[in-house]
Amino acid sequence: MAQLSDSRYAAIKGAGLGLKRELIPQVQAEFGKPIIANIDFLEIAPENWIGIGGRPAKQLAWFTERFPVACHGLSLSLGGPDPLNEDFLHQVKQFLDLHKIPLYTEHLSYCTDFRDGVGGYLYDLLPIPFTEEAVHYVVQRIRRTQDILERRIAVENASFYVAAPISEMDELTFIRAVLEEADCDLHLDINNIYVNSINFGFDAHQFLRGIPGERIVYSHVAGHYQEAPDMIIDTHGEDVIDPVWALVVEAYQLFGAFPTLLERDINIPPLSELMREVDMITAYQAPYLIHDESLIRKKVALR
Amino acid sequence: MTAGNDVDAQSLPAFQQYQLAFTAHIRNPGQNKLPSKVPASRMKVYTEIVFNNLQSSVSACFPVASKVLGKRAWTRLVRDFFIHYQSATPIFRQIPEEFLKYLSMAPSLPPYLYSLAHYEWIELAISVADIQDATADPAGDLLEGKPVLAASLALLSYDYPVQLISPRFRPDAPLPQPVNLLVFRASDDNVRFIELNALTARLISLLKDGELSGSISGRQALESIATEMGQGDTQSIIQFGHAILIDLKAQGVILGTVIPG
Repeated sequence: MAQLSDSRYAAIKGAGLGLKRELIPQVQAEFGKPIIANIDFLEIAPENWIGIGGRPAKQLAWFTERFPVACHGLSLSLGGPDPLNEDFLHQVKQFLDLHKIPLYTEHLSYCTDFRDGVGGYLYDLLPIPFTEEAVHYVVQRIRRTQDILERRIAVENASFYVAAPISEMDELTFIRAVLEEADCDLHLDINNIYVNSINFGFDAHQFLRGIPGERIVYSHVAGHYQEAPDMIIDTHGEDVIDPVWALVVEAYQLFGAFPTLLERDINIPPLSELMREVDMITAYQAPYLIHDESLIRKKVALR
Repeated sequence: MTAGNDVDAQSLPAFQQYQLAFTAHIRNPGQNKLPSKVPASRMKVYTEIVFNNLQSSVSACFPVASKVLGKRAWTRLVRDFFIHYQSATPIFRQIPEEFLKYLSMAPSLPPYLYSLAHYEWIELAISVADIQDATADPAGDLLEGKPVLAASLALLSYDYPVQLISPRFRPDAPLPQPVNLLVFRASDDNVRFIELNALTARLISLLKDGELSGSISGRQALESIATEMGQGDTQSIIQFGHAILIDLKAQGVILGTVIPG
């Protein structure tokens, strides 16, 4: 069994919940009560909070004072054809420092184009073709990001719907090559493994076994929308399904109980319902957490 | 602007040529072919999701403008924005501001539409502006002291009665006199709009400029208004203006006066 929690991000451990605007008043109302005891950390998208004032700024301060927070970015466009947005990265760095946020992760994807010498945002995660050249290109941008932020970042395996016909390798080979060459960490999205396994017909468990577990900083679970037997849209708008939980359990068996966070972006049910899934994460982690005393105490208290 | 057809496109690595064809198709599926050997049914997922997400981000800020224009024209406008404009911000709440920039140069829109959209956007901008109220003496003398305004505040002047526009009222001509609106973030973080007469608008404008250049007293501001008006009766302007200052304080536009020191 691998290390339990990465000492570099000691605050990010156990079970987490993605903090959406709709959930803010509910989490504030239940703070300190047993119902949300299993929320060990929260996740925010820096693109929603950087440079904000007024009421949301006060809300953000309330949360960062009370919870460990991880930043999961959406707009960096690590695979984008336009120049890396270094002004934005400096803003991210200031933001992480200001709020003492230890961890920043991004997607192994792109969200920009480049027309007439000008980059433009499309505000969605698009699939990078898995080629040798793309590996080197993305690696160099991850390295530059780590230099500017003065810290390691983790990249997340993305979900996608179109396999590039020009790809020279499979997704797992691509991810492994990027991680090794950039020497960065992995933000493992377990739902995305499942989504892609259905969309492109591969064995999710075999994929999971090929993941370099020692690089995982934390993971995501989420629900999705099954549009057709061979087509899943990664909506984060439904409950997590059993085959995804089965992958979570296998991942803990393989790599230890790394921190895991529930993403829910649309159709957000009341917090009490979401907590059932956060509690499931805690329960699945329990058998693999024998060395982490603080989490064990929590578990005992819950019984 | 033509998408993905740069002259030097051939010199790009294959994966980037593919990416540019991919995004060009997403932006304008009617005009740009999808990359070769990509299944159309799968590509359609992207063309729909990406545009729908963008349209939701834009429309959330412009509930009136989108209704006034009507669903079909609004969707076409957002699509034109997507086709022709390179949005430069990675920050999601700034997408409406990018759309506003596009509107300022978009062809054949109703003449009032830009003003209306600006009026809708400013509420968002004022509500989340990263600026904090200065400390002020809430009991200070507004005439002899230097009034402190709410920090997140804008004085606006529109050629159309933007606050009245709806699907049932589309103005066909500009107003004879522009409408003056004050928008500000109150101490409870809620955004408020106040319609102002010309005198009050001028008074706030002088106080706001004064804050930048080292503050002026309520009396000084009113004296310069009297001079501008070329009116002899400075005393009655000051008297009248004092009542306005007290009212602005009651409404939360003025927080108090500068604390000396």
